[in-house]
Amino acid sequence: MTEKLNLVARELAKLGLTAVYPREWRRSVVLEGEVDTWQQYIAAGYAAAGKGYKGVVNAIKVRGLEQSREYLPPAQGGALEGKDYDVVIIGGGVIGCAVARDLTRWDLRVALLEKEDDVAKQTSSRNNGMIHPGIAASSGSKKLAYNIRGNRMYTQAAEELGFELVRCGSVVMLGKSMYQLALPYVRYKALQKGVDGLIPLSRRQVARREPNATSLQRGGIFLPSTGVVAPYKVTVAYAENAVENGAAVHLNTAALGFAMEQGRIIGVRTNQGLIRAGAVVNAAGVWADKIAAYADDHFFTIHGRKGTIAIIDKALGATQKSVLALPRLGVKSYTKGGGLNPTVEGNLLMGPTAIEVSQREDWSTTPEEMEFLFSRHLSLNRQLRPRDTITYFAGVRACTFEEDFIIEPSEHVPNLIHAVGIQSPGLASAPAIAQDVAAMAVEILKTTREVKPNPTFNPERRLTPQLAKLSLEERGEAIKKNPAYGQIVCRCEAISAGEIIDAIHSPVPATSLDAVKRRARAGMGRCQGGFCTPAILEILARETGKAASEINKGRPGSQLLAGETKTGGGTRT
Amino acid sequence: MSGAKWDVAVIGAGPAGLAAAIAANKAGARVCLVERESRPGGILKQCIHDGFGLVRFGQKLSGPEYAWRDIQLAKERGIKLFTDTFLLELEAREEGFVLTLQNSEQAVFQIVTRALVAATGCRERSARQVFIHGQRPAGVYTAGTVQRLINIGGHLPGKNCVILGSGDIGLIMARRLTLEGAKVQGVYEIKAEPSGLTRNIVQCLEDYNIPLHLGATVTKVHGSERVEAVTISQVDENLRALPGTEEYVPCDTLVLSVGLIPENDMLLPLGVQIDPRTGGPAVDQLMATGQAGLYSCGNALHVNDLVDYVSESGEIAGSSAARFSLGKPDRPCHLPVIPQGDIQYVVPQKLDIAAGGQAVLYFRSARTIANASLEISAGGQVLLQKKYKAVRPPEMERIVLDLALLPPGTEELSLNLRG
Ligand SMILES: Cc1cc2nc3c(=O)[nH]c(=O)nc-3n(C[C@H](O)[C@H](O)[C@H](O)COP(=O)(O)OP(=O)(O)OC[C@H]3O[C@@H](n4cnc5c(N)ncnc54)[C@H](O)[C@@H]3O)c2cc1C
Ligand SMILES: Cc1cc2nc3c(=O)[nH]c(=O)nc-3n(C[C@H](O)[C@H](O)[C@H](O)COP(=O)(O)OP(=O)(O)OC[C@H]3O[C@@H](n4cnc5c(N)ncnc54)[C@H](O)[C@@H]3O)c2cc1C
Repeated sequence: MTEKLNLVARELAKLGLTAVYPREWRRSVVLEGEVDTWQQYIAAGYAAAGKGYKGVVNAIKVRGLEQSREYLPPAQGGALEGKDYDVVIIGGGVIGCAVARDLTRWDLRVALLEKEDDVAKQTSSRNNGMIHPGIAASSGSKKLAYNIRGNRMYTQAAEELGFELVRCGSVVMLGKSMYQLALPYVRYKALQKGVDGLIPLSRRQVARREPNATSLQRGGIFLPSTGVVAPYKVTVAYAENAVENGAAVHLNTAALGFAMEQGRIIGVRTNQGLIRAGAVVNAAGVWADKIAAYADDHFFTIHGRKGTIAIIDKALGATQKSVLALPRLGVKSYTKGGGLNPTVEGNLLMGPTAIEVSQREDWSTTPEEMEFLFSRHLSLNRQLRPRDTITYFAGVRACTFEEDFIIEPSEHVPNLIHAVGIQSPGLASAPAIAQDVAAMAVEILKTTREVKPNPTFNPERRLTPQLAKLSLEERGEAIKKNPAYGQIVCRCEAISAGEIIDAIHSPVPATSLDAVKRRARAGMGRCQGGFCTPAILEILARETGKAASEINKGRPGSQLLAGETKTGGGTRT
Repeated sequence: MSGAKWDVAVIGAGPAGLAAAIAANKAGARVCLVERESRPGGILKQCIHDGFGLVRFGQKLSGPEYAWRDIQLAKERGIKLFTDTFLLELEAREEGFVLTLQNSEQAVFQIVTRALVAATGCRERSARQVFIHGQRPAGVYTAGTVQRLINIGGHLPGKNCVILGSGDIGLIMARRLTLEGAKVQGVYEIKAEPSGLTRNIVQCLEDYNIPLHLGATVTKVHGSERVEAVTISQVDENLRALPGTEEYVPCDTLVLSVGLIPENDMLLPLGVQIDPRTGGPAVDQLMATGQAGLYSCGNALHVNDLVDYVSESGEIAGSSAARFSLGKPDRPCHLPVIPQGDIQYVVPQKLDIAAGGQAVLYFRSARTIANASLEISAGGQVLLQKKYKAVRPPEMERIVLDLALLPPGTEELSLNLRG
């Protein structure tokens, strides 16, 4: 046994996990055997981390525990059989979409595969939308480097792609005992990490900046570089610009394996046929370890860490300008602590929580998580009450046991790149990650051919009118050009038929109710779609040439209707 | 962008708004009606069951039939109707209210009016507001959405339904779904008493053998694509789910009938005072809000259970608005109306004694009481007494008070309901 492996074995023994057996495989450590509980599985994984291995592969079985269910699209057939691309990206989250867009800077045939019915369906639409300043990431980590770079790149990305970015800044408050001790240390750390523009604040200065901040605060720091975005809009924007520049986005398409030849990937097996690929990017979020295993490059294991977030009514949006947080001693930094943050739409978000889960695609919420949020974060802003919550949701972070991003070409498969383990601050880091991953892919392709820039690349996404952003004059002009903008469908958010039709015919078309929601915000207001669902349904059916009963809320199988009434069929409005 | 001038503008062409517009027109005012949907009639368009109009017309009409009468009348009287027209901004200026509107034909335009009637109806409470947990599959609808899908779209939202909440629309949809061949597993109500009218419990549930479960609620929705089942739990007296009572009920649709909220968002920027008990503006018997020239009626004022009273409040609001606009209003002199005992709320919340005449008071009880008695008093004097065999929160009560009965120097009026 090597020294390292001994260390792991001793840690496992300390935990009493006698039926867990570590072994070395390539430069990683593999854990095998059996345990009784999911908590033990997680503890074992962490026991093996930080011992000098490249990664921890946790193959321990948990007695009686159901394997994580994975959604696979029902579509079958050979619609994509024989398609041939220079780069195939697996995963249409913010990472995959940003990589696709950066690759279209080059004269390459690029395709993105997403198993869901739309991009941004998993973690990339289930988060706080914060562009973190970088202070929370540990020194020397990839998380830190990408976060700092990504944060700086967001300004340009927002301009080019036309999504909203609000640099609201964050006020990290320090409690009683922490203040005197922590401040010099925090400043030193921030400086060392390269966090932009830290401003120390006295208790009074915090109160002046955020009059509703908790009375527990004893001062803190202001980090002006913190921003917020609508994460699904960012992801859609990247995907759309990629398509405008020639990339293909294949939805309802799951990578199910690789065709390999002499250690290289030559094609991606999918439910829609075999797609040929010059290089492959693994950006599959919570399933990235499965993709790695398809190429026999399974040197890490992903486990899920669920976070629940509550949305506070817009009516209270004005009670706070910046992100508010009050870190507590003794809380592991990877939970990020959470807090209250504004959104670009004017709501506040509360959370997230952090809890290790075995089901990677279970986004259900529980009353316990909500109680926890209320008890933990509500009082950060003294104006908030539990009844101000309009809705809540959960997301699952894709974590490795080493707790850092893995962004590198495979050490064993010459044309595979991993962009995995992208937990928080993955959204904040996305522009920087995409830049590096695209460069890695180009390097790989250059070993066999010439790669030229794309002469027609246009970094600016074509924008359709967003009425809410227009002046009355501009709104009038837009309606005169296209009367469909004159007809309001979603009354709570004042979204017009024209905006919904634009979303349905956008470069990555919205074909479901939820996809319309994500792009046009219709149905996201106070009544939560009560009034506009029937109308959006009719528009979707008309614009896509389908029967109303074929329209889904989201994935295939999520039909909104069971059929027609006895006399029914068609609209009689 | 200064636009056409009107004496009275009415927002919302439901039964309240139609009645208001007609009354204002009869009083000699130049009136326009603004409606964001394609057709007038409001919620009545989708209420194809009968039972409307017993009080006002002495007949049992369906919702569309009821609305049709006022729509015809409004047409005959030449009342201007803007349909598919959305209110973007509302501002109170010296010359009156300035409404910035949009529609497909006129793009963005403004109108100016001396008096404004807000008849914007109500919206339904949503799933998230009642804190149901689980995933978010397709098949969770409010009762009003189901009503619209079936009655206007001709679509069947589901085949195996659970209804949460015993509000009237939910009860009516239980019957409607059954008639369309869907199975309704039951209606679950968290409170110990149903919140809908007795008539609807009998005609919509009992006649169709649909069980009503009181003291039970949905705590979880199952299914990731489409609803597959719900978990039902019994609740304790504080309405908290009792562990160990969970029941798994397979279904493909969850219909919510958990309350209506008066829709007054457009009034908030004007600083209009909202009565937390009704969710609508505080008004006097002329339906005048605290903002001069602004009137409220129908379900935007408070949630009604009979459309006949919706129309009545519209008529009052419309004629008051016309009087204000045509420059014949007396200076108001207000005294508060104080709910006491078991009264949940009273509308109006104040009386304008300068206006004189009669005042219609609408109230609801806070709980079910057999042999209740109502006492209206002012200045230590009992003005009116009335006995009720029973009062129930779902059933609104109406009483007319002659203001001449008020003793001089009265400072407040109180309504006291006792068991
Ligand atoms: C509660 C919570 C709050 C967060 N808050 C923040 C924040 O404020 N700021 C921040 O920077 N980060 C935050 N994060 C982290 C951030 O959301 C993620 O880092 C980021 O979204 C990861 O993007 P991704 O593209 O890697 O993953 P995903 O968005 O999960 O994308 C992966 C995609 O791959 C697809 N896929 C998987 N397997 C296959 C297959 N076999 N074939 C085809 N497609 C496949 C999936 O369907 C999915 O769409 C938060 C995360 C959570 C859970
Ligand atoms: C979903 C639903 C179903 C119902 N079903 C029944 C039933 O089956 N039986 C029953 O007895 N009662 C039912 N009711 C109660 C019913 O609403 C009343 O009896 C009556 O219709 C209320 O009339 P109203 O004019 O106040 O409101 P509504 O009928 O709601 O009319 C309001 C009108 O104002 C318009 N409007 C609102 N805001 C604006 C704006 N900003 N700009 C322009 N136009 C605007 C709306 O589009 C609507 O046409 C139901 C209520 C709801 C919400």
